[in-house]
Amino acid sequence: MGLLDRLSGLLGLRKKEVHVLCLGLDNSGKTTIINKLKPSNAQSQDIVPTIGFSVEKFKSSSLSFTVFDMSGQGRYRNLWEHYYKDGQAIIFVIDSSDKLRMVVAKEELDTLLNHPDIKHRRIPILFFANKMDLRDAVTSVKVSQLLCLENIKDKPWHICASDAIKGEGLQEGVDWLQDQIQSAKT
Amino acid sequence: MLKKFDKKDEESGGGSNPFQHLEKSAVLQEARVFNETPINPRKCAHILTKILYLINQGEHLGTTEATEAFFAMTKLFQSNDPTLRRMCYLTIKEMSCIAEDVIIVTSSLTKDMTGKEDNYRGPAVRALCQITDSTMLQAIERYMKQAIVDKVPSVSSSALVSSLHLLKCSFDMVKRWVNEAQEAASSDNIMVQYHALGLLYHVRKNDRLAVNKMISKFTRHGLKSPFAYCMMIRVASKQLEEEDGSRDSPLFDFIESCLRNKHEMVVYEAASAIVNLPGCSAKELAPAVSVLQLFCSSPKAALRYAAVRTLNKVAMKHPSAVTACNLDLENLVTDSNRSIATLAITTLLKTGSESSIDRLMKQISSFMSEISDEFKVVVVQAISALCQKYPRKHAVLMNFLFTMLREEGGFEYKRAIVDCIISIIEENSESKETGLSHLCEFIEDCEFTVLATRILHLLGQEGPRTNNPSKYIRFIYNRVVLEHEEVRAGAVSALAKFGAQNEEMLPSILVLLKRCVMDDDNEVRDRATFYLNVLEQKQKALNAGYILNGLTVSIPGLERALQQYTLEPSEKPFDLKSVPLATTPMAEQRPESAPITATKQPEKVAATRQEIFQEQLAAVPDFQGLGPLFKSSPEPVALTESETEYVVHCTKHVFTEHMVFQFDCTNTLNDRTLENVTVYLEPTEAYEVLCYVPARSLPYNQPGTCYTLVALPKEDPTAMACTFSCMMKFTVKDCDPTTGEMDEEGYEDEYVLEDLEVSVADHIQKVMKVNFEAAWDEVGDEFEKEETFTLSTIKTLEEAVGNIVKFLGMHACERSDKVPDNKNTHTLLLAGVFRGGHDILVRSRLLLLDTVTMQESGGNSFPSFCIQKQKYPGFVLF
Repeated sequence: MGLLDRLSGLLGLRKKEVHVLCLGLDNSGKTTIINKLKPSNAQSQDIVPTIGFSVEKFKSSSLSFTVFDMSGQGRYRNLWEHYYKDGQAIIFVIDSSDKLRMVVAKEELDTLLNHPDIKHRRIPILFFANKMDLRDAVTSVKVSQLLCLENIKDKPWHICASDAIKGEGLQEGVDWLQDQIQSAKT
Repeated sequence: MLKKFDKKDEESGGGSNPFQHLEKSAVLQEARVFNETPINPRKCAHILTKILYLINQGEHLGTTEATEAFFAMTKLFQSNDPTLRRMCYLTIKEMSCIAEDVIIVTSSLTKDMTGKEDNYRGPAVRALCQITDSTMLQAIERYMKQAIVDKVPSVSSSALVSSLHLLKCSFDMVKRWVNEAQEAASSDNIMVQYHALGLLYHVRKNDRLAVNKMISKFTRHGLKSPFAYCMMIRVASKQLEEEDGSRDSPLFDFIESCLRNKHEMVVYEAASAIVNLPGCSAKELAPAVSVLQLFCSSPKAALRYAAVRTLNKVAMKHPSAVTACNLDLENLVTDSNRSIATLAITTLLKTGSESSIDRLMKQISSFMSEISDEFKVVVVQAISALCQKYPRKHAVLMNFLFTMLREEGGFEYKRAIVDCIISIIEENSESKETGLSHLCEFIEDCEFTVLATRILHLLGQEGPRTNNPSKYIRFIYNRVVLEHEEVRAGAVSALAKFGAQNEEMLPSILVLLKRCVMDDDNEVRDRATFYLNVLEQKQKALNAGYILNGLTVSIPGLERALQQYTLEPSEKPFDLKSVPLATTPMAEQRPESAPITATKQPEKVAATRQEIFQEQLAAVPDFQGLGPLFKSSPEPVALTESETEYVVHCTKHVFTEHMVFQFDCTNTLNDRTLENVTVYLEPTEAYEVLCYVPARSLPYNQPGTCYTLVALPKEDPTAMACTFSCMMKFTVKDCDPTTGEMDEEGYEDEYVLEDLEVSVADHIQKVMKVNFEAAWDEVGDEFEKEETFTLSTIKTLEEAVGNIVKFLGMHACERSDKVPDNKNTHTLLLAGVFRGGHDILVRSRLLLLDTVTMQESGGNSFPSFCIQKQKYPGFVLF
């Protein structure tokens, strides 16, 4: 990094870049959440199932996020691990109305937490209990119980209920993530 | 020497190519940089270049390492650097078949192709189609449709071209994009229109009517793009060729109208299409030729070249049509571009009169040394055509050829010259002696083994029959002394042939052969010993069978049969008759002569066709125990019109006592499937139908095969020629054209086919006898039969010769199928093998009175000659 870059970084003119992985089962709303976080002129109108992954960028008040929005379909999940190494934070999205597949989500989460690239790092994980507007959605507390989140001892985590279509609850989560990343740096 | 050194120095300096000493492992190690943040676009692009370079150099990347590098590369998508992004697209395309899970980039590419950056969109489409297989295509179909009609030309073109590639693996999906392609075809951009038209054509190319409709539609509306015009012309001319027909069709009018197009490219394409149409009349050629004539005086060298090259082609078929351009061509003779000049001269040689030959030859020899080998070959071909046209000029032309032969030149060039000389010798008996002696001189200093052995073989064949055969011996024996083993072996064979045919030279030949017995090389020694022993027997029959006429079986077939024999050893000695005969006459290749690569290939291909049949037939259990396949009819006979509901072709396979008819059937109705298809045969003669092997199921447009086995009559040999009436019987099941779902219930139906003929020629395999006289003597008098026929309907000797050869299906030996002009008698020599492996030789003397009279005598090694004799009544028919 050049001198100018460092100066501008110090002065807070230039936002620091962080890599975030966005994971979760298919149809949980990952792409919709990321889309909603982007500035309104860059948002796309229709969301289709992601195949593979796509790279998106958005900014919060003090950070510039580069998100690897991974596909959640069963056959692509084993490709997530290629990107674990350079993720500085993880956003894990859960469809809180899909009780049936909650166990699948738990299984995927456990595999993720036990992966050698993740296991020994103090990497912040943000959970979105998405689709809270649906009638049969369970509460975020219930979700955290179902996923046994209390067992995560060595990583900071946070769960918040969200409705990606309206954008509710997203900002709260991102703010938490931003705090975590900045506190980890200092 | 100094210059050479400099050059080497330059090469080893390596300054010119920075990627020269790349190591795969080092580059892959470097590729880890991709994982770092922030990304350094310049550095990453450089590493990607290195990876691409390695892949293109043929370096093999293992699946694991390629996948690792690929996934690292995918992380570069976070950078927005345009150069880097485009390098990524290239890498994706190159690695799409090496790495695993390449579909990971699908969403990223879809995002780019629908994004705002036009520079990314085209390449993204191409990369996306490269990584997509038919199962994933559904997911991107919507985007492809949008991209095809995109208003940015590069995106639309990319989508169209990619669809064309996808057509190969998922035809049905791409077919649904026709409407979009149609819209793109009316685009203003010339490339988009061209690509759209290409896609439309390839989607419809199996449907003749649709293609015709497409052409007429676009001719009515006119096209913007000259490329599209060129393609339409090609499509139209292909269509015309398949229709093989009338020139009144609108297709031809379209091509002709393109001669007046304002683009030179289109005009040339149209002219060349007309010129290449088969069976084009002089009147139709005229406008095309006059357009080409205009091009001859164009200031653009490329146009001049194209024009003169096309005229050169026309001149081969219609020299008179090109005569009008002679003046323009004369001007081109002095063109500064040597390629143009050469083509102009060779064209003139074809069209010019006999008197101008000397002048043109002088002109061309002035710059012969300046042109490349490729064009020298063109000159040689022109000369060889001239020799056929003006046999009297052979002295001038021969001399010219020999000067060329003495000069430096590559193999192709030298071979063309030798081919030409050999054909002159064959055509023109006056030139034989001079030709042979020139060739003798040539092999004194010949670096090409193939040519040397070929000439030696020719000498062995022709030399003994000249007036003074002994003068060739010195040249041949020189080869034994001086050359390497392949040529030595060829020379030994040639010597033996002299010994076999000339009594007075035999003692000296024996002495020479005895010396060869001490040779270093196995092959040479073996040949010498073999010939020596045969010649010492002093028996004509032996000479004829083992020296003058070689094996007539197919070499690959013999190899396979021998291998089979060694795998399953039996008490019986190996039977040469069980080996399939060579299907093409072995003109140059003899088992004794050293292997000649150039002539071996076509023979091998022909042999494999029969081998394929043999394997297919052997797989059918009903055909076990028929013995070896004797002959398959060379071309399938159509038993239906080409445009009917069902198309059936028949191939006849002859065995020793049986005949198998193979029916290749195609069902062209998409709303029904045929089951249990058999072809019933009703013979007119004593043939007996043994069994039918049905084709189980015949879905739409998938060819199926059924067989019918017939026993050949044993007692009554008159019945060799026979007519069968054919009837195809099957069960029809209706099915849905789109889904292919079938009804359970079917009904019986039948379909009458055209009659099937079995002629005498089907029972006889062509065989080449290099020395007919010797073979004739070998058979002896006891099997000889002689009869006289009057061929009442035939007016000329050529016609008679052609009909006899066709009827008997035998091979004409010693070029006796060419009738010299202005003669009213001719002797036709034919050789063949009857099924079961019996040799037949026919010598027919033809006499032209008012009609042709034929006196025919046949000799064969078949114990009872009755078949040969009984067959004759057939001749009176024509």
